[in-house]
This record gives sequence, C-alpha cells and structure tokens, in this order.
Amino acid sequence: MTDSYDIAVIGAGPAGMSAAITASAAGARVVVLDDKPRAGGQIYRNVTDSPLKNTDLLGEDYTKGAALVEQFNACRAEKITAANVWHVGDNGEILFSQAGASASLTAREVVISVGAMERPFPIPGWHLPGVMTAGSAQVMLKSDGLVRDGAVFAGSGPLLYLIVAQYLRLGVKVKALVDTTPKQNYLAAASLLPGALGHTDVLTKGIGLLNEIRRAGVPVYKYAEDLSIRGEQQAEGLSFTAKGESHSLDAAHIFLHQGVIPNLNMTRATGVEHVWNREQLSWQPRLNSWGQTSVAHIAVAGDGSGIIGADAAALSGQLVAWQQLVRLGLISPENAENHSRPLQQKLQRYQGLRRFIDRLYKPADALRKPEQQETMVCRCEEQTRGQLKAAFDQGARLPDELKGLTRCGMGPCQGRQCGHTVSELLAQWQGCEVEAVGYYRLRSPMRLINLTELARFQPHRQASAVEVKS
Amino acid sequence: MNAIAGNRQKASVIIIGGGIQGCSTAYQLAKRGVDVIVLEKDRVARHASGVNAGGVRLLGRDIAEVPLSKVAMQRWQTLDDELDGDTGFRRRSLINIAADEADMQTLQKRQALMHGQGYFHETMIDQQELRERLPHVADYCVGGVVSETDGYAIPYKSVFAFRQAAARAGAEFAEGQQVQRLRRIGNNWLVETASGRYEAEYLVNCAGAWADQIAVMMGDNCPMTYSAPMLMITTRMPHFATPVVGAVSRPLSFKQFENGTVLIGGGAKGFADRARNTTRLDYAKLAVGASNAVDFFPIMRTATVNRMWAGLEAYMPDNLPVISASVNSPNAFHAFGFSAHGFQLGPVIGEVLADLVTTGRSEFDLSAFRVDRFERKVL
Ligand SMILES: Cc1cc2nc3c(=O)[nH]c(=O)nc-3n(C[C@H](O)[C@H](O)[C@H](O)COP(=O)(O)OP(=O)(O)OC[C@H]3O[C@@H](n4cnc5c(N)ncnc54)[C@H](O)[C@@H]3O)c2cc1C
Ligand SMILES: Cc1cc2nc3c(=O)[nH]c(=O)nc-3n(C[C@H](O)[C@H](O)[C@H](O)COP(=O)(O)OP(=O)(O)OC[C@H]3O[C@@H](n4cnc5c(N)ncnc54)[C@H](O)[C@@H]3O)c2cc1C
Repeated sequence: MTDSYDIAVIGAGPAGMSAAITASAAGARVVVLDDKPRAGGQIYRNVTDSPLKNTDLLGEDYTKGAALVEQFNACRAEKITAANVWHVGDNGEILFSQAGASASLTAREVVISVGAMERPFPIPGWHLPGVMTAGSAQVMLKSDGLVRDGAVFAGSGPLLYLIVAQYLRLGVKVKALVDTTPKQNYLAAASLLPGALGHTDVLTKGIGLLNEIRRAGVPVYKYAEDLSIRGEQQAEGLSFTAKGESHSLDAAHIFLHQGVIPNLNMTRATGVEHVWNREQLSWQPRLNSWGQTSVAHIAVAGDGSGIIGADAAALSGQLVAWQQLVRLGLISPENAENHSRPLQQKLQRYQGLRRFIDRLYKPADALRKPEQQETMVCRCEEQTRGQLKAAFDQGARLPDELKGLTRCGMGPCQGRQCGHTVSELLAQWQGCEVEAVGYYRLRSPMRLINLTELARFQPHRQASAVEVKS
Repeated sequence: MNAIAGNRQKASVIIIGGGIQGCSTAYQLAKRGVDVIVLEKDRVARHASGVNAGGVRLLGRDIAEVPLSKVAMQRWQTLDDELDGDTGFRRRSLINIAADEADMQTLQKRQALMHGQGYFHETMIDQQELRERLPHVADYCVGGVVSETDGYAIPYKSVFAFRQAAARAGAEFAEGQQVQRLRRIGNNWLVETASGRYEAEYLVNCAGAWADQIAVMMGDNCPMTYSAPMLMITTRMPHFATPVVGAVSRPLSFKQFENGTVLIGGGAKGFADRARNTTRLDYAKLAVGASNAVDFFPIMRTATVNRMWAGLEAYMPDNLPVISASVNSPNAFHAFGFSAHGFQLGPVIGEVLADLVTTGRSEFDLSAFRVDRFERKVL
C-alpha cells in the first residue's frame, strides 16, 4: 500500500464499486475503503459468500449483484476492507481504522459512497430491547443466517415488504405486517404514476411482494396509526389502530422500518453543504449534476447523495468517476461528456420512479415527529420529546442549542438516531422550514475510535520521506 | 444565519459579543438597572464559551489573576441560585499530578511563591494521598497539588443561564448582528451591523477571538492572536475519577462527568480559520493527548473516543487577558484575550466591567491587564 492516490472511494456498495471499476479502467490509481470484510454494500452483502444455502430465496435483485462484485474484485483498484474510515478532511486527508490500528492516506479526488441507513422510527417504546429495524433483521440474515420466529413487522416501504418476503421464503413464521402507509398517499402518488411507468417491472415487483406476503397467510393491517410498543423492560407487543379499530399484538420481536435516508455523518463532518429534500424528508449533500459537493474534489454517489436505489447508485458511481477523471487530466472533457450523457439520461428516468415511491411511502408526520411527551427522541442520552420541548421553550432554537441544553445527539450513535427528528421538531415548533433550522454541527471521528489506538496513531508518517543529511 | 434583531436600537450600553463575558456583563449591568443590548454576530455561546472544557480552575493561576479568580470561584459555588438557572457546576477539587521529583520541586517553588503572597488555597499532597484521591492513577506518579474549591460546569448551560438571567433583568440580545463599523458621533457611539444600526453611550468589547478587530475600531492596537484549542470526549465509562485532573509538566487535563463520559484536553491546538468561523483538528497532537491520558490512567486504555472538537480562542503574548478601559476612546472597555482559561473568570468579569462602566473604577488592581501594556514595552 502506498499512501497517496488519484481517487479514494469510501464505501464498496454498488455506487463505490462502479466508481472504482470505471476510474481504474481509465488508468487512475484508485483505492477503495470499506468497513465490511467483503465488498457489496448493503444490498449485495455477502452475495458471493453467503451463509445461506440457497441465495435465490433472497431474490434476483440480490443475486444479480454477484456479477458486479466479481467485476469489482477483478478491477485494478486497491481494496482495503474491514477499514473504518473515521475522518475525511476537506484537504484530501483520510484516516481509517483497521485491525485496531489507525492509518492515513491522501487522495486528489474523493468519492463518498457510504450509502443509506434506515429512518429512525420514534414511537413510544421503540427503544426497548426486542425492537430492531427491519434492516438489521436483514443484515443478520445476510451475514449470519440468523432469523427471529414470530416477529411483527411494522412500517412502510418496499424494503419492508422485501424483508418480510425473504423471511417467509426461508420458512420463518411472521406474526403480522402492520402497514403504516397513509391512505392519502395512494391518492397523492397516483398522479405521479405516469412518470414511473418506464419501470413497470419494479412496480409489479412491489405489488408481487405484498401478494406473496398475503398468500403466505400473514395478517396485513393496512393504514395503521397510533403505534406504540408495549413493555417495561422488554418489548411485549405492538398496539395500534387500523381502519378505526384498535389492535394489540403480542410479540417479543418487533421490526420497524419506514424507508431509508442518506448516511450523513461523513459528508457533514467533512464540511460540505447540505440541503433538505422535501420529497424524501431528509438531509442530503448539495451536489451539481456531476455529483460534486461544494468542495470540488469531493463527490458523493449512491444513496448517500439522496435515496436513489441500487441500480441508480451504480450509475451515479460511474458518473462521478468520469468527472473526476477529467479533473485528474486523464481523459478529455468531451470524452467524459460522451460517457456521462447516457448515464445522466438513465438517472433522469429513475427519478420518475423515485418520485412515485417517495410520495407513496412518505412516512406519516406522527411517525417522524412524535406527539407524546414520553416518546424517546434521543435514545443514547434518553431525551424524550417532552424534555426537548422544555428546552425549546427555554429558548433553544437550533439543533446545537438543544444539544447544549439537553445532551441530545451527544451519545455514541453520534446523532444518527435523533438528528432528523430534532431538525423536524424544531422547525415544527418554530413554524419555519427545516432548512432554516439546520442540523447538528458534526465532527470527526465519524466512527467511535479506541483511545489507545488514537494514542498510537502517527498521521503523515511517510516511510518514503527523503532524509536530508548534511 | 438569519439576523434576529432585538426590538431596541438604542441603549446606555452596547456589548459586542455574546460569550460568557458578554452575557455576564449584560447580567451585571441589567441587574443594576442599566439598559443594555448585546450584539452577537452568530448565536449566543456559539464559540469558545459554549464549547470549552468547562474547567472551573483556581489552581495554578498566574499571580496577577489570583484575586479575580478567587472571587470568581466564590461566585461559582452559588451561581445557580444567583442566576436562578442551571450551570451544571460541580465542586470536585482539582489535582495537578506530579509525575516525578522534578515536578515536585516545581510545586515546592510555586508553594513558596504563593505563601509569600498570602495565598493558601493550593495544597501539596504526597503519593499516598494522591492514590487515595485518585485510586486509578499510574503507579509512578509521586504526588501533586490540590485546590479544593475547583470543579467544572457545563459551558453551554452556564452561558445560557447568564443570558436568561440578563434577559429577565431587561437586557436585550440581538443575534446574527455582526458589528462592522463603529463611529463616535457627539457623545454617543454609533454601531453598524450588516442589517442594523445601534446607538449607545458606552461600548464593551467582549468579542473573543475577534476582539482585536473591535479594539482597532476603537483605536486600540494590541498583539492579540487566536488559536483553536482541541478537546475530545469518550463514551460513558465506569466511574473512576471524582476530582478534575491536570498535570504539572505535561499537557493533560481531564475530568469525568457524572454520566461517566471523560473529557480530555490539555491545551493542544488545532488550526483556526476565524474568517470562516471554523477550525481544523490536528490529529497528531490529539494522539499525544490520548497517549498522556492512557499513560497517567491505565484504566483509560479501553476508553472510546466519541467526539473531538476545537473552539476559537483569543490569546495574549503573556497569556493574561485584557480587562481595561480603551486608551484611545472615551466610554469604551475591553475584556478579551483570556488565553484558554477565561470560562472560570466569567462571573467576576461581568462585575468588573459593570463597575468600570458605571463608576469608572474597579476594586481590583487591573494594571496587569491594560490593553496598552505591550505598547509601552516593545520598541
Ligand atoms: C439496512 C438496509 C438494507 C437494505 N436492503 C436492500 C435490499 O435488500 N434491496 C434493495 O434493493 N435495497 C436495499 N437497501 C437500499 C440499498 O442499500 C441501496 O439502494 C444500495 O445499496 C445503495 O448503494 P450504495 O452504494 O449507495 O451504498 P451501500 O450499498 O450501502 O454501500 C455503502 C458501503 O459503505 C460502507 N461504509 C459506510 N460507512 C463507512 C465508513 N465510515 N468507513 C468504511 N466503509 C463505510 C458500508 O458498510 C457499505 O458497505 C437497503 C438499505 C439499508 C439501509
Ligand atoms: C476548547 C477550549 C477549551 C477551554 N477550556 C477552558 C476551561 O476548561 N476553563 C476555562 O476557564 N476556560 C477554558 N477555555 C477558555 C474559555 O472558553 C474562554 O476564555 C472564554 O469562553 C472566553 O469568553 P468570551 O466571552 O471572551 O469569548 P467567546 O465565547 O468567544 O465570545 C465572543 C463572542 O463575540 C462574538 N463576536 C466576535 N466579533 C463580533 C462582532 N464583530 N460583532 C458581534 N459579535 C462578535 C463571537 O461570535 C463570540 O460569540 C477554553 C477554550 C476553548 C476554545
């Protein structure tokens, strides 16, 4: 390993892998860092090396990733796996932790492709043991082949239905699917359907999943509202109303999911500008049509740039690579233009589908901005909606001010679980745009780092440094 | 930043800067019935005062600062009641650890100096007492010095408490108002921000790392610099240290808060870009800080760093603040250049400035803090 590259790609999901394949094929010296032992990202996790006997059960969208992963493994980019990147400076410096030691490297261009995380689901009891996100259920499945019998799945969105279906195909019992997609969303989304029609395959796949779940005999409760998880020390069940009727289901495992939002801590801590996406109800880095951030040498691709889905993520990875190759002087702007135009056109078409999905699965206000005083907002520091409101009433107006008074966002999740809720609540209480409220001021480390490891860290240790002897 | 202008444009006193010094001064003036406006370019407590290490330290102060610091320390003990707020102050004692005999000799000299001045708040302790007070300290440490009244407070909450108390007493706060120009018209100061105009009889410069710019507008040059001291904090650990900890000769300071998190500082500086309100961290220096912490307290080997940050702070060449009337302008005062230990002084600085504004005098000897003290020496 040298310590200086043309391009550093952070995250080896479809976006990062595609960026690396394109850039290294054109002659750039590329390094790819990912915190997992193998490339693939969220969607293609362990696709070439699954603990499951029959990966077909996970669906074609999963298995088709094997080709991309193999192409990536064969490309000339240097791969650094099991490497947790904890600092990306706006000066090209990258610090990462691997096997208990931290190291640094520099790169002229940086691609941040760290993907998405599931949107927090702040309802009463969501902090209790036994409650997890549906995505973590899927991660357990993909990496360890682990499942939980008799769980209740609650929430909304294609990923939720996919995970339930994956469970059922493996013969695991699912107690119920509690669907929180609001009724009015169907109407609102209908007008956007024409724009999504280029992707009928995706649309029918979604409908197919729900049918599959129903056919398997799993009770599906539609238009669910007023969700709350019962239990004192441990989740015991889920209560909700659906179509005007109250329900209460017993379950020791409750998996929640209401869509995904970009992973923001890295772009935030790097200091690039962000904007609030009103359709997706989430923050995302401000990008130009080439994926460049407000700091020219840092680009963002994939779901980390705003949720676009795995196929579009791969396209956006190629797109940022072409632009960076121009900046590196390795190809002509015209050449890049020729390669980029079809990519941009395809990405455009995905946007029609995305708008439809975003509108259809737009999470209800009450599930993003808790209304009950006791509902936990910051789980790490155990700050409830009521405690945050009290600090607001005292005068805190910005996320950092709320944090200064209550410690919300100061815990080990580094604000990931409360940041969006806090931005939205503060905007609601002030009757202003979320954009005007902003987000926590974030800093490195973007991942927790052991103190002894930091103590041993010697950045800029350049083995090849010229010694001047006099 | 949206400008959040106050309702009033005219007052007896305008304070420039909404850090702890500006808010404390506003509180003291308002309490005495003086009408006062605080102009803050960003948000109150956005800079050093809101992000510092919260160390409330009398131990090891420069002799010139001891009288001020002692009064400040008295105020901290009852500040929550005084302000009817929550500063998060905890009296925990502060121990500076001696790592070897050379350190003990340094402490002995300091003790002679302090006793000679009639100060007895710093007490030397031997190795056994050090271990009793800090059971997890490394075996090789030989002793130290303790100040019993010291402790910590929560910076943002402290400034907030001053601000709230000041506002209740009638002080006005205008945020997002960067002072760009000062003019003297007749007996008044005309203060211009990007979006507003203010007028007052008296001006107080509490502009922190930007205070030299305000000083220049008042006609006073001074060799202030600014830098970005850095901090890091761990996730929660089992309780292992009650006192606040420093070291005699090594750059280390840390404290364990009630929730178990450990804040590690020690004066290492990152890079400051005050024009853009930002700082950059120097990870090599943070690594040295981490190394010192582990070295003095082996239990910290397994600690996990959660956050690292820096704040913009004003420094003077002698590490003493400027607390002074302007030399070249009437009815103008300065309080800045606290050189990374101004948080503790907050409660007393407000009193001193309120005295200077309302009576022209202070009960403290402020000669060491004159704004022109370097002009007389250099060249
Ligand atoms: C929990 C979850 C499950 C999902 N499951 C599916 C699914 O089954 N089907 C589907 O169509 N879509 C799924 N999605 C959406 C899917 O993730 C994306 O559409 C797609 O994977 C995005 O690709 P990407 O390259 O942008 O990011 P990702 O595929 O997420 O890749 C990002 C990579 O960066 C790594 N990384 C992140 N931070 C760091 C760091 N600091 N240092 C080093 N590496 C880092 C991550 O571990 C990951 O390997 C899921 C999303 C989530 C959050
Ligand atoms: C990381 C760190 C750790 C520290 N640890 C400790 C400690 O443990 N104990 C201790 O006692 N001290 C500590 N200090 C020092 C202490 O924080 C400062 O000395 C003190 O907060 C200074 O207060 P201030 O009000 O003068 O400055 P500030 O808090 O910087 O306030 C000045 C304000 O003036 C505003 N301003 C500037 N220019 C203008 C303008 N033109 N118009 C309008 N407004 C303007 C700024 O925006 C700022 O908000 C530390 C400092 C740092 C950075």
